[in-house]
Amino acid sequence: MSESEFVYVIYIQSTPEKIWQALIDPEMTKEFWGRYRNRSDWKPGSEWRHQNYDDDKDVAVAGTVVESDPPRRLVLTWARPDDADVSRVAFDIDEVMGSARLTVTHSELSAAMLQRISAGWPPVLSSLKSLLETGASLPMTRRQWKKAG
Amino acid sequence: MSKPEFVYVTYIETTPEKLWEALTSSEFTRRYWWDTSIVSDWKVGSSFKLVTNGIDTDDGEVLEVDPPRRLSYTFHHLVDERAKQERPSRVTFVLEPAGKLVKLTLTHEDFGPGSVLLDGISKGWPAILSSLKSMLESGTALAIPLSSLGIEGVS
Repeated sequence: MSESEFVYVIYIQSTPEKIWQALIDPEMTKEFWGRYRNRSDWKPGSEWRHQNYDDDKDVAVAGTVVESDPPRRLVLTWARPDDADVSRVAFDIDEVMGSARLTVTHSELSAAMLQRISAGWPPVLSSLKSLLETGASLPMTRRQWKKAG
Repeated sequence: MSKPEFVYVTYIETTPEKLWEALTSSEFTRRYWWDTSIVSDWKVGSSFKLVTNGIDTDDGEVLEVDPPRRLSYTFHHLVDERAKQERPSRVTFVLEPAGKLVKLTLTHEDFGPGSVLLDGISKGWPAILSSLKSMLESGTALAIPLSSLGIEGVS
């Protein structure tokens, strides 16, 4: 059964454009996502990869770009290599009276995947917020760690 | 079928002591929690209440106090006509050091089926805790209007 959904809402003193940039610019992403980056041309139908910043061949997650409407909405399929479990991630970025709200909806999750990603998203998104608000991401997220995904 | 509860985990660059104080002291809650005062002597069995603009908006009873690790209280909403008829729910904060960070886990649970309050708090807590994190890390809380959260009955 792949019915579970994980939703995480975070408010960030930043702009939708900067949040979008943080998700796709490797120099920023590596700072809060365990030195991994997101690689794609971000056009609907294109492939995307979550790969090691220092090693192109180390791909932790891959999928397809389903929707791309910068800087408001990005929807991706999500699967670990050699894993039949395919889930779906939607990033919704709204401007809220001078701040921004990022909603991550990770859906179509098996029970095992739900458990893994529930532990993974909070530190990554907390660190993204710290990076945009203070200029520094959270220290433990700048290096590779045993990540959920 | 999952049980009705709301869980939120955030990582904050602060100390457990500072975070504990921010969660339990009006001097801080008024800055990140829509100018809300949190009133309690934080002894097990004591009452607590949230007061905004002179109005008691929520109250409850203190269940667990283990500074700076664990805080729990019952939660009863007092304003919205439907939500105030619901049985008290339960709020628990767990603060765990993680290097230079604190991992904060908020669990708001014990809602009855069809709870209206669950929807409201699911929208409120991310804003409150995001603003708390901003206050502790950057010195400035966020200014997110309560009316922008899309909570039914709140304009």
